Parts: sequence; C-alpha cells; structure tokens
Amino acid sequence: MSVGYLAAAGTPRVTPPPGLPRLIPADCAAGPEADHGFGQQSLAGHLARLGPLTYPARPGGLIAEAEAAGLTGRGGAAFPVHRKLAAVAGQARERRRAVVVANGAEGEPASGKDAALLWGAPHLVLDGLQLVAQATGATEAFLYSRRGEELSRRLLGALRQRAAAGLDRVQVELVQAPDAFLAGEESALVSWLNGGPARPAFKQPPVWQRGVAGLPTLVQNVETLAHLALIARFGAGWFRAEGTPAEPGTMLVTVHRADGGSYITETGVGTPLAALLPAELGAPGARTAPDASGGIQAVLAGGYHGAWLDPGRAAGLTLSNASLRPAGAFAGAGVLAALPVGRCGLAETARVGRYLALESAGQCGPCFNGLPHIAGALDELAGPRPRRQALADVQRWAGLVAGRGACHHPDGFVRFVRSALSVFRAELDAHGRGRCTATDPAPFLPVPAGAPTGS
Amino acid sequence: MLAVTEGGPQATPNAGHTQGGEALVNGITSSTALWYASRATGVVALLLLTAVMVLGIVVNRQGRLPGLPRFGATSLHRSVSLLAVVFVAVHVATAIADPFVSIGILAAVVPFVSHYEGFWLGLGAVSLDLMAALIVTSLVRGRIGRRTWRVVHWLAYLTWPVAFAHSIGSATDMQGGLLLYLGIGCAVAVAAAAAWRVTAARRAVPPAQRAARVLAAASASRRLDRDRHAGAGAR
Repeated sequence: MSVGYLAAAGTPRVTPPPGLPRLIPADCAAGPEADHGFGQQSLAGHLARLGPLTYPARPGGLIAEAEAAGLTGRGGAAFPVHRKLAAVAGQARERRRAVVVANGAEGEPASGKDAALLWGAPHLVLDGLQLVAQATGATEAFLYSRRGEELSRRLLGALRQRAAAGLDRVQVELVQAPDAFLAGEESALVSWLNGGPARPAFKQPPVWQRGVAGLPTLVQNVETLAHLALIARFGAGWFRAEGTPAEPGTMLVTVHRADGGSYITETGVGTPLAALLPAELGAPGARTAPDASGGIQAVLAGGYHGAWLDPGRAAGLTLSNASLRPAGAFAGAGVLAALPVGRCGLAETARVGRYLALESAGQCGPCFNGLPHIAGALDELAGPRPRRQALADVQRWAGLVAGRGACHHPDGFVRFVRSALSVFRAELDAHGRGRCTATDPAPFLPVPAGAPTGS
Repeated sequence: MLAVTEGGPQATPNAGHTQGGEALVNGITSSTALWYASRATGVVALLLLTAVMVLGIVVNRQGRLPGLPRFGATSLHRSVSLLAVVFVAVHVATAIADPFVSIGILAAVVPFVSHYEGFWLGLGAVSLDLMAALIVTSLVRGRIGRRTWRVVHWLAYLTWPVAFAHSIGSATDMQGGLLLYLGIGCAVAVAAAAAWRVTAARRAVPPAQRAARVLAAASASRRLDRDRHAGAGAR
C-alpha cells in the first residue's frame, strides 16, 4: 500500500474520473476564468476531486508505472517519459543530487493548453512535479511558466497553499520564461535557469547529465506531469483506457476553428481530426464545396513546426503520430488550425515564417542566415507575380538548413514551409498569374503582437 | 642515431667525419644533427603555431578564409594545430636528446629548472605545458563540456606570446638576419589578427538581432532585384 500525503485512515478512496475529461474541463479557457466545473484551482477543490497524492511504495515504482502506461512527453517530442526518468534517477544515484523542472513555457503562439492547465489545475502539475522529484531523487524543483503577472501570482498562491498544508517534499521555485518561441526548448530552459540567455545549447553533455547548476536535470512538460499525477493515483491500466495501444492516454489540444474561434480541450490520442473540427471536416459537403461558407482549404497540424494538410486528406487522419507522421505532420503539442477559404495560405505561411525566422536564437549560421532568406522569398511568393526564382530559392535553401544547427528550429521551420508549398500549389499558380484567391486580408494564425513584423 | 639528410644549412660548423659508413651531408655530423633538427623543427613549429593562432581567431569570429567555406577554417585550425604538435614534440625530443647541451626531460616540462638558458628554456617549458592543456582539453571536449574547454582555450592567448618569447630569446640565430624577419612577420600576423578580433567583436551583431538584420537585408535586396527585373521587363 502506498503512503498518501493525508493518508488518514478512513479517507474515502476517490474513484477515478470516468471517461473524459481527466485533467481540465472541456473547452477550458487559458485564463483566470479557466476553472468552470472542476473547481481544481484551489487545493481543497483539487483534493476533493482527486484525493491526496500517493507516492509509489517502492523505489522505481513511478518509472515502472509510467512505462506500463506508455506515457510520452506532451511538450511535442513525444519522448517516452520512463526513459527520461530512469536516466536522471541513475545519474542522481551517482551524484546524490538532481533537479526537476515543470516546463510550462509554451512558446508556440498557437498553443494555449499549458496555460489552460496551469490556470485550471495547477495542483495536478505540482503533484506530478513532486512525484518526479521523488522518483529521481531530486533535491530542487522548478516551475517554469509562461510570463504573466497574474498567472505567476496564481501559481505562487498555489505553492503557498501546499506549503501551508505541508504537502511538498521538495520546495518548488517559480521562474517566468521569457517571451520567445524557443524559451521552452530543453537546453534553452536550462540556460535560462542557470542565469544565461534562453538560447538552445549544444547537446553534449545532455541536460539529464549536466543541466541546471551542472546537476542531472529532468525537464517535463506540465501536461506530462499532470498525467503522471493521475497515473500515480489510478494506475497505468486506467490511463490506457483512452488513446490507442501504441499511443495511450489523452492529450490536451488547442483547436483553431475556421470561424476564427478557438478552443482547448482534452481528447484521447487517436481521435479523428474530423471530430475535433466537426464543422470543417465532419460534413462531407464542407469539403467538396470549398466555396461554401465554412469551407476550408487546409489544416495545420502540430503547430508552427508542424505541417499543412490538404482538407480531404486531413479528414481521414487521426490525432496520433501513427496517422499524422506518414502525412508529413505530427501530433506535437496538439495544435490544430483550419484555414478557411477566402484567406491566403501563402500569406499566412509567409507571416508565420517571418515570425519563426525572427525567433531564431541567432547562434547557428544556417538558422539566422537561412531562415530570414527563406522568409524573404516567402514574402515574394505571397505577393503578386513572384519571380520563378523565389520558389526555387525557397526549395534550395530549405534543403540547406534542414537538419543543421543546435536545435530543431530549422527542421520545424522547413517542415512548415515545405508543406505550404505542396498544399497551396494552386494558390502559387494563381499568384504567378497575378491573382490571389483570398477575399479577406486579415491575419488568421496567431502571431504575438509584440513580435517584430519588419517592413 | 638520427640522421638529417635534407634541409641542412649550407655552412659547415664542424669538421666532417663519418659514422656508420654514412656519408656526410652538408657537414652535418651526428653530434650536430640533433642540434639542427631541434632548431629547424622549432622554427617550423613557430610558423605553424602562428598559423594556428591566426586561424583560431578567424574561427572564433566566424570569419571566412578566401576560397574556403566557414567550416574550412575550423578544420584547418584543427589540422594545423595537430601538425604543430608533431613539430613541437620533435623539437623538444631532439633538444633533450642532443648531447651538445644537457637539457633533461624534467627541464622540458618543468619551467626554469634548466641550467642552460634557464629563463628562455623555462618559457619553452611553460608554453609546452600550456599547449598540452589546450590539446588535451580539445581532444576530450565532448566529455568535459564546452564551457570548461572554452575557459582553458583562452590560454591560447598566453601560449603563443610565451612560445614566441622562447623562440626569440633562446635561439641566438633568430636575433638577426632572415630568421629575425620571420619572427617579426609572425608577430605582426598575430598582432593584426588580434586587433581584427577586437574590432570584429565590437562590431558583432548581438544574437537576438542577427535574424532581423539578415531579414532586412534579404528583403531589401529582393525588392531591388525585383524592381530591376520589372524595369528590364518594361524596357
């Protein structure tokens, strides 16, 4: 039997939440109003819904349970959680110290799920952070959250509540991430916590060997930690009740509808994209008659490092790497966006491409030289009568920057751009003839207001 | 015994004699061969170390050498430094083995214990030790981490001047004539590279602004190209 925080005899055992949602209520907002329904913002509400956290009775228990659950990182890379845990725990045994970090930086402008989780269920994340601290033998813990005074105040309040209740074994320090696309990249995060700039670093030695303060460091996305907090309570079998056998569990998604609205929800991995965008992909009529209002011309899967998909193809795909990878996309951090007809896909790609290029950390030549050059050529392709040279430039330079640099920023950028060239082929032809099919010039995909937009 | 069969000086410092049936080449005897070998490898090592220093500065500022891609400077810096190690090793080994002056193995490594030219040879020992630190940390850079390596690599700016002082001070033939000009040339090359490094560092664009600068330049040149293209089309 495991030992709970408040394991008073006779405490009624909380029954696992049946079905969905598990983490935060459906259609949860990424803001102070994120609570409706679950009441998990307060510690009392959290404990009432899910009961006290139980630490695994035997050492390595959490690692084994995470492996049995098949939990993968929800920050985008989908790396098996148990392997990272085991690696850091092994290092910590030798060094006698380690650091764990809950990563809620969420630099992706189109994603809001980590913020929604931190607003709506901070104690679930903090439970998970304590669990991994215990599992790895960590002596220090950080909560690395998106910048924002209000959110920080809320999170500090949550930490204080836990301290007052004497819940936490390892003290947690709150750190605000800088506003940067790459702020959540693992080595950039470590550099920031070490007092340096939030820029990706060389991967040798890896952060699980030498990270924060030179100690073995575990960095996990906040949603991953929230899942761990539930797995520790209800077990791997319960976790696997949702999702697919290869990619079990649920994930939070941020969905941008064609009407310009967006919502955050939790869904089983392997949910059809048509179920998440029912108005856009669900009804066959919406696809076959793209001129009808509500029709869409493309779906972006995986965020700004992801890929554009043709709507006909997207309608047959599910939100899982098994389904999306062959289509050139991936589930990533669960960002979906349906681009309605009447907007210019090339203009959207150029605008996001410019943003991504400017978000280069400016360290590696292929990135800070290549991405702006590609962005410049994309600008030309988004305008009337681009020269044929512009398309050739994009294709050539994309091949030159892919797979290079200290992090995967160039790779993600190239994936996004190449998919646009293939999905928006017809638009490219139209631009070549000096026409654009768009009727609405307003920007569609979110790009931070403060980001430089150039001339 | 080691016999130098090429590259010897034209002058004949010693009266010739034969050893092991081998004919003399340009008056180098077995007793002077080591002396000349040590001198020659020392001079070549100085030239190579100067090249390593200049190349290292180019690599540090991410500069380019004419006709080479950027990574070319990096691999050249590495290769030339390893070549310099070989020459320094032969230079030291022949100096120790040379019976004309007695320099012990200890004096080659521990500074200022040699009875012969104590101070100048001491500088040589210092630069040898520093060089060993630079090479060893570079070979195990993956294990010790970039930051440690970087700190140690700053010692290069100390190593070269010490090695240079050792060359000028202990080699009497470098204090005049052709070799003096060679030494001056080396010093000028390194001084120029160092000066360029300082000004380049001052002019360097901060990482956060690099992409924006490139984007502005790329967009401007693209517009210019286009206008020219359009102008040509209209004509």
